[in-house]
Amino acid sequence: MNPLLNTTAAELRTPWTYQPMSGFYDEMMGGVGVVRPHWQTLVESLNQAGPSGLAERWREGQRLIRDNGVTYNVYGDPKKTERPWPLDPVPFLLEGSEWAKIESAIAQRATLLNQVLQDLYGPQELLKKNRLPAELIFGHPGFLRPCSGITPPGNIWLHSYSADIARSPDGNWWVLADRTQAPSGSGYALENRLVSLRVLPDVFRAGNVQRLAPFFQAYKDMLRSLAPRRENPRIVLLTPGPFNETWFEHAFLARYLGFSLVEGGDLTVRNNNVYLKTLGGLLPVDVIVRRQDDTFCDPLELRGDSMLGIPGLVQAVWSGNVAVANALGTGLAESSGLAAFLPALSRHILGEELRMPNIATWWCGESAARQQVENRLGHLVLKPASPALDFEPIFGARLGPKQRALLIEKIKANPAAYVAQEQVSLSTVPVAQDGRLDPRHLVLRVFAVASGGGYAVMPGGLTRISTSLDSLVVSMQHGGGSKDSWVLAETPAPPFSLLRRSAGPLPVSRATFDLPSRVADNLYWLGRYLERFETAVRTVRVVLPRLHQEADAPAAAALQACRNILAEGGWVKAGDERLNEDEIFSTILDAELKTSLRASCRDIRRLARLLRDRISADAWRVLSQLEKQFTGELPPEPLRNSWSRELLDNAVMSLSAFSGLATENMTRGHGWRFLDMGRRLERAMQTVLLVRHGLGFVNEPGEAELHTVLEIADSSMTYRSRYLNSMQADLALDLLLLDEGNPRSAAYQLSKLRKHVDRLPESHPPSGTPREARLALSLLTSVQLAETRDLVRLPWLNEFTGRLEGDLALLSDTISRVYFIHQLPLQART
Amino acid sequence: MTVSTTHTTTYLYSDPVSICHTEVHLAPRDCPHQRLISHELSVTPNPAFRVSRRDYFGNEITIFTIQEPHQTLNITARNEIEIRSGPEYSFPPAAAQTPPWEQIPREIRTGKTDEIFRASEFLYRSPFVRPSPDCEAYGRQSFTPGRPLLEASLDLCHRIFSDFRYDPRATTISTPVAEVLAKRSGVCQDFAHLMICCARSLGLPARYISGYLRSNARTLGGEASHAWCAIFCPELGWLEFDPTNDVMPAGNHVTIAHGRDYSDVAPVVGVALGGGEQLINVSVSVLPPAAN
Repeated sequence: MNPLLNTTAAELRTPWTYQPMSGFYDEMMGGVGVVRPHWQTLVESLNQAGPSGLAERWREGQRLIRDNGVTYNVYGDPKKTERPWPLDPVPFLLEGSEWAKIESAIAQRATLLNQVLQDLYGPQELLKKNRLPAELIFGHPGFLRPCSGITPPGNIWLHSYSADIARSPDGNWWVLADRTQAPSGSGYALENRLVSLRVLPDVFRAGNVQRLAPFFQAYKDMLRSLAPRRENPRIVLLTPGPFNETWFEHAFLARYLGFSLVEGGDLTVRNNNVYLKTLGGLLPVDVIVRRQDDTFCDPLELRGDSMLGIPGLVQAVWSGNVAVANALGTGLAESSGLAAFLPALSRHILGEELRMPNIATWWCGESAARQQVENRLGHLVLKPASPALDFEPIFGARLGPKQRALLIEKIKANPAAYVAQEQVSLSTVPVAQDGRLDPRHLVLRVFAVASGGGYAVMPGGLTRISTSLDSLVVSMQHGGGSKDSWVLAETPAPPFSLLRRSAGPLPVSRATFDLPSRVADNLYWLGRYLERFETAVRTVRVVLPRLHQEADAPAAAALQACRNILAEGGWVKAGDERLNEDEIFSTILDAELKTSLRASCRDIRRLARLLRDRISADAWRVLSQLEKQFTGELPPEPLRNSWSRELLDNAVMSLSAFSGLATENMTRGHGWRFLDMGRRLERAMQTVLLVRHGLGFVNEPGEAELHTVLEIADSSMTYRSRYLNSMQADLALDLLLLDEGNPRSAAYQLSKLRKHVDRLPESHPPSGTPREARLALSLLTSVQLAETRDLVRLPWLNEFTGRLEGDLALLSDTISRVYFIHQLPLQART
Repeated sequence: MTVSTTHTTTYLYSDPVSICHTEVHLAPRDCPHQRLISHELSVTPNPAFRVSRRDYFGNEITIFTIQEPHQTLNITARNEIEIRSGPEYSFPPAAAQTPPWEQIPREIRTGKTDEIFRASEFLYRSPFVRPSPDCEAYGRQSFTPGRPLLEASLDLCHRIFSDFRYDPRATTISTPVAEVLAKRSGVCQDFAHLMICCARSLGLPARYISGYLRSNARTLGGEASHAWCAIFCPELGWLEFDPTNDVMPAGNHVTIAHGRDYSDVAPVVGVALGGGEQLINVSVSVLPPAAN
């Protein structure tokens, strides 16, 4: 017996109070003071925990969301596009028997839409027999004529489908909208589940909540079955990129499902096949899971207005050399106009009634329907019939008589562009906030994937809630929240995890050649940014304690050395003015400056975000914390200096933690190699910079400068342990530049770099040694051949370090050219 | 009569193009008044991949990929076509005896034949043709109530010919119809789009035709690809109009392809990786074969 389904009456006790609104169906309360049976265990648990108990558990949930970097991008928000994912701790509960009905209705609707698409891109009998108005399809920009005549594998067009459904006051569920192009949200639903499992593990177990993993396994199996090559097919998830609203989900799902996350520029069509551009060369791609609108998938045949996408893709699909899921052209079925005809189409095609009705929908392109819409405008919501005319939903109830007349005129001018829908009174569900439970409207997004000739439906889905009770729009774009959705079963679900099962034995693979060039590029620059940032942090850390010192000659010399070093990196102005506190604090914290430490942290995390599917959750957490440390406010005097020192100490710790994680936990593939090459190259550059600008070449460097530079380069201790307190320029310079045993020296970096370059995929061409290998070797040899006693001959040192500086820059350029240059601009030829 | 056509497109790039994908509409389709005898498409450098198929509208397209670095691309299409003339091919019927134009939208709505269904494809907006109140107003001056379809269409064709100046510098491929209408100038493609737009604004199916014109001193648009349009009438089929020359094509026009507008049938489109600046040179010749 499922304790969540027991029938003993329970009531919501103080300290919780909950007042559902009359006129709406409330999901938890069946009447005044009556908790619906399947909510009772959860209610008891809430009673037990009380607001403070829940808040405490919820802190763990919020930490997970923050640390996992679960975000949602909001368009048109100039300040920041990325918002933390809003999740409510109280899940939405659905009874198993009710769910079974929803499940079968969604599977039916997906089946129906798939057959409609088969017809529209094939014989078009529905149009010829006038079961669908031709204008709705022929006038729709989502009807992709170049895809007409294609037969996708298994004749599946709709590989994944989602619907927004809502419950009306009489308790019935209705379909509000269909998502057929690249349905989003299943990844967020999964992430919600991972969080709510941690927050309410006991209630979850007691409720026999149906698991999500089998759904994703079915999805994976189906995608594998589409591949033209059966053995170990390569499946990629195509994303429009980090500015897309659901980018987090793309990266998350790619990782969870084990697919490569790619952008259009990572793929290329050669010989009518699709390839992934990687460091190891071009690798064939069998299946593209697209999260990009179809019109942007092939600039050759689909001619979106941009050069995004993969030229030649449509022909490769025609030839059956690659499968695209969802099939190109499926955006057409998203048209709200189509919904008006689905009840009749269901009877015609499937010979059955829709198991879940549409919300009443009228397409204004039919004059009888338009007349009805005009008459009932006050009860309706107007929506675009197709993306050709895009506008926010218009609520008839909110318009005055003049505005209504105006709208009616607009509809008359272009009736086919408008669809009207009955306005629904969405059901309500409790949402925890400020220690209270408040009712909010709910829309449930449910997901289906093609499976075994039919459709498998994810048990539950993504529950989205409105910002306030009087908000009529439930949308993540409009700041709504979300909930995990639990489908309760009578018996416990069998244990199942995607990670435990695989379709068959896989060959052992140790090579990681399939690193997209774009990713290698980003990893390399992440390495460089981190190292550049570290030098600045270490330099400022040397400055801070000296700001309050007596203005004696050595302190002044040390500060001047630091100014020169920081100025070279663009962190402060060049000159001979003594560094002062205000200047240093703004270098640390000023968010407006392009080159403050705070801004750099932001840049680093932004870059790391592009690599979400490549760096570990732990490494990501370290970088998130690093950024967070720098968002603090400077405390008042006299605490500022010590506060800043602590901040920088923590930053150095975070950076060490990151490199520790990279060293210990990253597979020694090309990903790690490019990250480490970036670091080595930048550290060598920074060390040379310290010597050239910290010591200067005007006079013999003084003790103060030598101490300062050694300290920044974290080599003071080594120096002291070797030479005690006697400071000698040649010994210090030898330690910084030539000593291969000092992990901070230029020589050490160059020796690592040479090994990396030697292992790059293009390093061993059939004839000759490539330029980057020769450069790396020549750099290493020049430090190996240098003599310590020459280092104190200023003109020689100047020439020597100048050459190192130039050759390092050249090496970086060469690596970029050979490995990252794949991203040439595409241009249209007309 | 047999004519041979040669259509050469040359691209010159300032920097090497490493890969390019191209789609061409260069093979004449069979129509009642013409039959393709031979078609030859040569491309230099030699494409690594090349395939031909029919597009949605039944035109032949060829798609090819060049995968070697190149700075010059040459695409040449040579065709030999038999143009049929004679009473059964040469319209027009007596203009005054064609049905009143308002009858056509009604017949399209209620018609059941496959031809009518296919024609309904050409009633709606398309990438280059956005029916508008301005176009409707311009069209209505010719399409007065009850006027026979062909008479009204010929009048519209004539008005475009006389109201608009032929000026290759006035517009580009992407100039919208609204701007052509405001500027009163353009080239064959603009005039075809304008006439299509007027017709569709009035509920008449209208399509775009690309092809060649045997030029002589009196005609315009013969030095390159030409474009004209057709309006559908259930009784008479598709009636073709060339508003650039104020004629109904008969004998001198070679049809390559038809579609909703230019975007469906552009002779050569492509996407190139790299290339820097590009220079395009197009030449078309239409000649009776030497033997004739």
